Amino acid sequence: MMRKLFLASTATFWVIVIGFWAGSALTPVAQQPAVAAEREITAAELASHAKPDDCWMAIRGGVYDLTSYLPDHPSRPTIIEPWCGREASDAYNTKTKGRAHTGEADAMLPKYRIGRFLPGG
Amino acid sequence: MAAYGAGFRVWSVPLLTIAVPLGFVVWAFPHGLAPLRAAGIVTGWLGCGLLLVSLLLMLREPRLANWLGGLERMYRWHHVTGVAAYVFLLLHPLALAAGNWQTSRVLAWHTLSPVEESWPVWSGWLGLLLLMIGLAATFTPSIRYGAWRWLHALLGIGVVIGLVHLILLGIDEPVLPILAIAAAILGWRLLRGDLGLGARPYIVATARKLTARSVEIVLRPLADPVTLSTGQFVLVAFRNGPVYRGCGEFHPFTISSIDGDGALHLAVKALGDCTSRMLSIEPGVAARVIGGFGSFLSEVSGAPQLWIAGGIGVTPFVALLNDGRLRHPARLLYLYRREDDATYLRELRQIAATDPNLTLQTIVTGDELPDIEGLLPDARELSGVECYLCGPPGLVGALKQVLSARGVAAQHIHFENFEFR
Repeated sequence: MMRKLFLASTATFWVIVIGFWAGSALTPVAQQPAVAAEREITAAELASHAKPDDCWMAIRGGVYDLTSYLPDHPSRPTIIEPWCGREASDAYNTKTKGRAHTGEADAMLPKYRIGRFLPGG
Repeated sequence: MAAYGAGFRVWSVPLLTIAVPLGFVVWAFPHGLAPLRAAGIVTGWLGCGLLLVSLLLMLREPRLANWLGGLERMYRWHHVTGVAAYVFLLLHPLALAAGNWQTSRVLAWHTLSPVEESWPVWSGWLGLLLLMIGLAATFTPSIRYGAWRWLHALLGIGVVIGLVHLILLGIDEPVLPILAIAAAILGWRLLRGDLGLGARPYIVATARKLTARSVEIVLRPLADPVTLSTGQFVLVAFRNGPVYRGCGEFHPFTISSIDGDGALHLAVKALGDCTSRMLSIEPGVAARVIGGFGSFLSEVSGAPQLWIAGGIGVTPFVALLNDGRLRHPARLLYLYRREDDATYLRELRQIAATDPNLTLQTIVTGDELPDIEGLLPDARELSGVECYLCGPPGLVGALKQVLSARGVAAQHIHFENFEFR
């Protein structure tokens, strides 16, 4: 019985993995929306959104409202929450331990983008 | 007190199997997430908890085995918890990817894809693939035992890499202690169970051919002997002698009798490469012994007994008879392939001729499974009888089925089948 469960679950797993790959491969590439009118956000404005229930971060030149994402983040809150209201590119690129975020994180980020960061503003 | 001990032995493993994974889920339960993402996290922790229980159940420590209901029972649950963990860990990435499907199919694939990724995801895939390969080997009995052991060890490496995957994702708070416990269990098993640091030193005193394919080896202790009771088995690894070359692997052997000076008589049937080599074992070969294990005959009651033995499975019954403990009527059905292949047959016939409490019925089966229905007594004769079964797993399984169909309750069917893969 254990052998049958192993074989059935392994075969089902690979069928579903292939299904996810096919779903992605068959999705037409979306046209990038025009970004000319993107809002500019200064460091001062960014700093005013520095709480877990109102959390913006500047990452690689963009500003992201990550308030709704924070509960989804895998690490404990004390790791990510201190970066609310701050320029967090280094933290994002290295996770403060020299390790990059996953491709899933990169793919997810645009969903939260609200503007362009003006570092000196 | 004895009832409390028996209850603990019965419930200890099921309680561990439920408590450890659920404890992890309660500790790390994700609040406020979308259901599929939460399911992905919960299945990951359930798998992690079950793997930890599965690791604990592979330890070969006599005292632990006694608490947990015996080594054979531990191995059965080791298999169940291991496969259940694997199924949950397969569901874990699928549920996380499914959680992103509504947002974007590309994002859902990014969640799973090992391509263009980094170590947090690669380590997750590597851990899962090692579990997959290790389990595939586990379920392939045709693989030679030596190779099988190494492939099975991939499961342990897969567990460690799976936990490293969590740390690389930034989830270090509950994971570091879990990783330490997993590494400690694996190290404990490797050092004490596989390399034999937890074993007692013995030496082969004599070796006597029982049949063309079986031998009785007498082991004399070189230090304190292992603690044993009648009918128990030990794990023994034989080293090199003047001519003999031992394979060094621990294999289970039932003790057929124990001498006053602690010397152990083991019955060895040539069933694989390692045990075939033991047919030519010689006095002076060093051995290491772990045990004793098993409670198969530890609570023999005063009720009439039906003993059914297949092949070398007759050894625990021989041990009981050698111990002189037969105070109640017992009927022994001894099944073997050929008369010249039947271990202890001559001794059993001698005992049956002199002991009125023992009825011996021998059945030559050839290479086929015999007609079990025709062999066993009918339901009326089985009423109030305690049944003890020992032999190959296929035979024991068939016997259990027929006995159950004839109304023998599970608590009156006691069995041991030495399936340690």
